[in-house]
Amino acid sequence: MPEAAVSETDKTSHIGWQGAIGSALLLGLSLVFMLGGLQLGLGSPFRLGTGAFPFISGLLLAGLSTLNLIIDLRGSQLAEVPDWIGFLAISAALAIFALTAERFGLVPAAFLTTVVASLPDRSLPLFKKVILGGVVATGAWLLFIQALNLPFKAFVGV
Amino acid sequence: MKLTRRTFVAASLMCTTLLSAPVAMAEPGAWSDEPVRIVVTFPPGGTSDLVARLVAQYLDTEFGQKAVVDNRPGAAGTVAADYVATQPADGTTFILANNAPFTIAPTRFQTIPYEPVEGFTHVAYIGASAPGLFVQPGLGITSVDDYLAYAKENPPTYGSSGVGSISHILGEAVNAKLDIETIHVPYQGSAPAIQDFRAGVLDTFYDMVVQNSDMIEDKEAVAIAIASPERNPELPDVPTFAEQGYDVVIENWVGLSAPAGLDPAVADQVNETVLAVFALPEVQQRLTDLGITHTAMSVGDYTTFVEEQIDVWKPLIISAGIAE
Amino acid sequence: MDILSSFYGGLLVVLEPQNLMYCFAGVFLGTFIGVLPGIGSLAAIAMILPLTFYLEPTSALVMIAGVYYGAEYGGSIASILMNIPGTPAASITCIDGYPLARKGRAGVALFSTATASFGGGIIGMIVMAALSPSLATLALSFGPADYFAVILLGLVAASAVANGGALRGISMVVAGLMLGTIGIDLTTGDLRYTMGIPELRDGVHIVIVAMGLFGVTELIVSIKANVGGKSTQKIDYADFYPSKQEWKSLFAPILRGGSIGSFFGALPGTGQTIAAAIAYAVEKRVSPQRKDFGTGVLPGVAVPEAANNSATQTAFIPTLTLGVPGSPPMALVIGALMIHGITPGPRLLVEQPNLFWGLVASFLIGNVMLLVLNIPLIGLWVRLLQIPYKYMYPTIIVLICMGVYSLNNNVFDIWLTLVIGAAGYVMRLFKFEPAPLLIGFVLGPIMEEQLRRAMLLSRGDPMVFLERPISATLLAITALILIGASFAAFRSYRMTRNQT
Repeated sequence: MPEAAVSETDKTSHIGWQGAIGSALLLGLSLVFMLGGLQLGLGSPFRLGTGAFPFISGLLLAGLSTLNLIIDLRGSQLAEVPDWIGFLAISAALAIFALTAERFGLVPAAFLTTVVASLPDRSLPLFKKVILGGVVATGAWLLFIQALNLPFKAFVGV
Repeated sequence: MKLTRRTFVAASLMCTTLLSAPVAMAEPGAWSDEPVRIVVTFPPGGTSDLVARLVAQYLDTEFGQKAVVDNRPGAAGTVAADYVATQPADGTTFILANNAPFTIAPTRFQTIPYEPVEGFTHVAYIGASAPGLFVQPGLGITSVDDYLAYAKENPPTYGSSGVGSISHILGEAVNAKLDIETIHVPYQGSAPAIQDFRAGVLDTFYDMVVQNSDMIEDKEAVAIAIASPERNPELPDVPTFAEQGYDVVIENWVGLSAPAGLDPAVADQVNETVLAVFALPEVQQRLTDLGITHTAMSVGDYTTFVEEQIDVWKPLIISAGIAE
Repeated sequence: MDILSSFYGGLLVVLEPQNLMYCFAGVFLGTFIGVLPGIGSLAAIAMILPLTFYLEPTSALVMIAGVYYGAEYGGSIASILMNIPGTPAASITCIDGYPLARKGRAGVALFSTATASFGGGIIGMIVMAALSPSLATLALSFGPADYFAVILLGLVAASAVANGGALRGISMVVAGLMLGTIGIDLTTGDLRYTMGIPELRDGVHIVIVAMGLFGVTELIVSIKANVGGKSTQKIDYADFYPSKQEWKSLFAPILRGGSIGSFFGALPGTGQTIAAAIAYAVEKRVSPQRKDFGTGVLPGVAVPEAANNSATQTAFIPTLTLGVPGSPPMALVIGALMIHGITPGPRLLVEQPNLFWGLVASFLIGNVMLLVLNIPLIGLWVRLLQIPYKYMYPTIIVLICMGVYSLNNNVFDIWLTLVIGAAGYVMRLFKFEPAPLLIGFVLGPIMEEQLRRAMLLSRGDPMVFLERPISATLLAITALILIGASFAAFRSYRMTRNQT
């Protein structure tokens, strides 16, 4: 573990101005909320408007992000090496659950989610991924529907 | 135990059918092999949720009808109503109907994704509780007339359970009736409003009256009027708005409704079964504890009731200024 | 007052065999349900609520309380093992708990949280027994301005819990405040930033934010690090017990955390989160190990757990004596009592002494049970880490989906978790940490509500914040902390500049 940490720092150190992207994104978001707050109305001190609180917090965040931005521009580093394959796999797994849970039911959704999530792992052959999916789906059915009695539907007729 | 309870139910049922003559002659009992879902428009913990859990529990123990409570809160009850309206009408999905999605939302929002009357089979009415106006005892106000005189001089603050809640709508209805202006302070639910009232932060608040009987008895709050048509037997000393010459009637009702197109025979049977549950003295007692007065209604009566309530609430919501 | 004899009476009530059984059942169920990511104490209590209709009110309350603190403890297990906090308070346990697990010391961390929970629970119980009436009065003397001030203090403390520096911490707190305004405005009923999406009307559920920012982000990060196939961690299964020196280092933090927790728990609405944040921030200043906070030190997990559990117990004070539920689980507690015809309020202490003292005594018994139940289980939980990660992470993602879906039974919540998780991952790459954001997110709406209410009630006069002694004192403390922190930050900035 310690060795890995050292090599990771090497790869990510001193990426220069790009380290400020995070602060810039936050600054942009805060501007969106400030503008939205203005549109919603600031109201009066007696009756603070709908937009007052988001405007104030947006203003604060804009100031803080600008400070962060200035510091980051002097050179900073990423916290870790980005793993976009893992990012895609986890995102796809959540998406597949969202797409299938109500259309086909809990058991198929759990099965597909497991298989999709495990895709980036090359050390696990496909048939083992399918078996894992089956095990997780069965476990989810036992736990959530049988034991906890949650109002989920196990299968939805197609 | 179970046997005696069943026989008791049967006996009490015979009484109710004899008394309330020409209701459908369905037999109370389980109507579906599958577990029934009762969708609740609020998160767990509120009165609606408790009523739903009460019904679910007794359907199972008394009639062997498995039932689960399914909380789908959101968007002032319209999420749950929309969901139920689009479910198959096979007698396995119900909504614990109340004012929020059925009488308030149709007027409050420009568009709602369901038809409050035709989109449902309104199956069984459960009961209602009435809100009222509470004032600080130190103000020396004991009647609506006193309140009117006081409010004309110094506009009081009033706490409600939130924007668009029944207590807010009642507050604005009273303001309109008395032609006064007050400062509305919304809370999330009645408990924090009552806390601030106790702490002396608020001059008045609106809330269900029976649930606050302790405060009335302890003289921590004066309930100057209740918004029911008649006085509540639990609190015979609290006068109605109407008898003080101000015609304001608002009731918070709950019932059980299913998607449109439920087989009338099944609807009658569910109605009978639910009425049988609420005829049990222990269930009656629990309803009373929750401040709800139970009334038996047939499927037809309940449907007409929902229809009428939309018209009753419409002007109230518009005058409260919360319609989109 | 003869508190001891009342307590003894309560103890007799709890020691009745059926109450003991319900207490155990509650603690047991609570722990197991609480371990599941996304399914917290609220869902656990809602599940057992119908069962309690048939029980005596005292048994019902004892069982519900058991489920409540059982689930809160169970949530810390997922925080430590998987970096998935079930509640905002547990996100603070993650800060040191997860690094400890990564170092192969999950067993010791779990043992410390079990002990800290127990210690905090006992402190909370003592406070509840001794001070219930006065703490109820305290909660009543808190007006909207005072609540605003205490939340502000909590937020400033929360920004100090972050590892990435105070400036980034505060930025995340404020970002949380900002995102918390999404949804319907409680004061006017208008919609804010919902982009026409009906599901956003009621805002984003806290569990979705927690699952997205912690759970999803953590999974993405861990895949690469762990999936190589080999089990990366060597764990000594016999080694759950902290060393003698570590034991000693835990005692004072538990005491401090428990005391801070018991005070803030009595304030309805904000208790556990503020308690855990402030307790951690205080410990980060006073602990001899303060330099290593955030890298996995035992006091770092013990303090928030002690504060959280002690606040969990004292949260029953406003619930029972004022009838004000501070949190959704507490609203269920009130509901459960109402179904038994008991209205929580100032009369409860007098009219239902057996109920009240039975509950207080059940905290003692229940916390002992929690400890006895969980110490043997630590081995089981730690063994979960030995399952190769390639099997674990797809399972965790399904658990997260189930937990999130069970909130509203709406798949939109899954999409939202995906969006928040993705955004959280990007922010994490740029060293912005999720814990302060989560705390800002949960406290922001309450803060705004109290601010606007205070201004409404004072007819628009901001002096109300300085005129009320409680709020003036709290604001002064907050200002001092802020000034101190900005001096320190400026100095360290100048130092790093001079170095480069």
